[in-house]
Amino acid sequence: MKEKELHGKLSLSRRRFLKVCASAAAALGLGSEAVPKIAEAVTSPKRPPVIWLHFMECTGCSESLLRADSPDLATLILDLVSLDYHETLMAAAGHQAEKSLMDSVEANAGKFVLVVEGAVCTGDGGVYCKVAGKTNLETLEEIAPKAGAIIAVGTCATFGGIQAAAPNPTGAVGVRDVIKNKPVVNIAGCPPSPNNFLSTVLYYLTYGRLPALDELGRPKFAYGRKIHDHCERRPHFDEGRFVESFGDEGHKAGYCLYKVGCKGPATFANCPVQRFCDVNWPVGAGHGCIGCTEPGFWDRMSPFYEHLPDVRIPAGDGIYVEAEKIGKWAVAGAAAALAGHAALGVGKKVLDSRKCSSDSGKED
Amino acid sequence: MGANASGYYVRVPVWSVALRLYHWTFALSCITLILTGLYINYPPISTWAEFMPSFSMATMRTWHFAAAFFFMSALAVRFYLYLFGNRYEKIQDCTPVSVRNIKSLFHAIMFYLYMLKEHEARPGHNVLAGTFYCFVVFISLLMIVSGLYLMYPETGWIQSMGNAIFGSQQMARFIHYAMTWFFIFFTMIHVYLCIWNDIFGSEGIISGIFSGRKMLPADAVAKDGTIETE
Repeated sequence: MKEKELHGKLSLSRRRFLKVCASAAAALGLGSEAVPKIAEAVTSPKRPPVIWLHFMECTGCSESLLRADSPDLATLILDLVSLDYHETLMAAAGHQAEKSLMDSVEANAGKFVLVVEGAVCTGDGGVYCKVAGKTNLETLEEIAPKAGAIIAVGTCATFGGIQAAAPNPTGAVGVRDVIKNKPVVNIAGCPPSPNNFLSTVLYYLTYGRLPALDELGRPKFAYGRKIHDHCERRPHFDEGRFVESFGDEGHKAGYCLYKVGCKGPATFANCPVQRFCDVNWPVGAGHGCIGCTEPGFWDRMSPFYEHLPDVRIPAGDGIYVEAEKIGKWAVAGAAAALAGHAALGVGKKVLDSRKCSSDSGKED
Repeated sequence: MGANASGYYVRVPVWSVALRLYHWTFALSCITLILTGLYINYPPISTWAEFMPSFSMATMRTWHFAAAFFFMSALAVRFYLYLFGNRYEKIQDCTPVSVRNIKSLFHAIMFYLYMLKEHEARPGHNVLAGTFYCFVVFISLLMIVSGLYLMYPETGWIQSMGNAIFGSQQMARFIHYAMTWFFIFFTMIHVYLCIWNDIFGSEGIISGIFSGRKMLPADAVAKDGTIETE
């Protein structure tokens, strides 16, 4: 029967399969009534086509996806969706691969899910990143209008990522900066949690629409709260117990990483709850959050072991100074100026009084 | 001094109760915000003692947020007074928008540089101070906007506003912190110049911010003719 077919096709037991659907529903914040709907959506005979484009990136997001364990994404995504084009995973190569890409785009126009991994190169007409002789920009502008849904995976595809760090020689931008007339779901992170990506896809397959997004296009179920606000080390923050340097007693005791540059208070993501591969996450392992799901990640979030980004001094070429130092110097300078001003006032009074006494001396 | 040939001073009511309340609420909340804010940015002491609860960061944050609401209320009062306060409190009296005020601006600069001996007999703010206070109010607005964005990051309209102005939490955090130093800077200069004016001027401006009255030379008040005295 259906269960058997499913079993044969997926090498998944029904029990395991339903568990997968249930964890996806839980990740999305949906109730148990959503589980059969998800199960139905992913087992429908017409597998939704997915086209996965790689632009300027390191393939870390694909790597993260391959390491997903629960829901067992590797099996699920490869068997349940029709992955028509993925440069790392597809068997086809060369002209054959490019032909299958365009065939799928034409055949499934308006229906396929377009996934973009990596920043789009816009500098100098996009010449710095070409696949099959076409610039990323051309490929995206050709395929995106025909997509049913667009999902940008990873911080490069969402906000430009490390490619967009100053001075950004390649003009790297996120998909949203190029495709403005269509909603783009941003699964930010470097790499993002694979579960957040999978849950978004399942939501789309189940309900035929995109999940609720925040202002930056990130699904609210995953990026609705700051890391800081559901961090397991938060009680130490409130208590004022901080790690002063890596490896000290506070670090061994699992105290808050705020003073060693944790960006959790400025970063929206569900890492403390979802964790990576259900195993752990950076703060759990004793390293501060580096703020990888936020716009301006890299420029604004570095230095990683400082609380705040450094200030670039406009006069000096490429000189960065801590905001703290600038503030202290400004206040010290003002204090010195005030002291000088006061000294001048006292000096003037003394001079004036001498003048007065010498004037009165003359009169006598 | 010189121009006051008669040697008499008259007591002129200048600051309303509302303005004085604004001033002291603003001043005390600023001090609280600066001190707690510096702690929050970089807590100097780590309480590693686990045998007793300290709750220091949470307490500092509570004080910071409480002071922030006083700060916002004070600023709302100041905005009201800029528009509907008495003639000395209105924005057009203390900014360089008329010939008389531009003269006052330069007079104050010259006076502070010890280049003029004559203290300007003027009931309201001198225009140098008034203009700078306007700037402080503007920076305060920036502090309020960034502070609200940091405090209520998930609240609809605050999030939209913050995203539009700052782009990200980290940027708002940075601006919020950098501007703290402006308030330290301002407080220092303000207190110094008040003491300086109390010494070199005749108005008694320090007692003026408690009493709301200034001592002005009788001759200048008589010459002006529009200043109401007590």
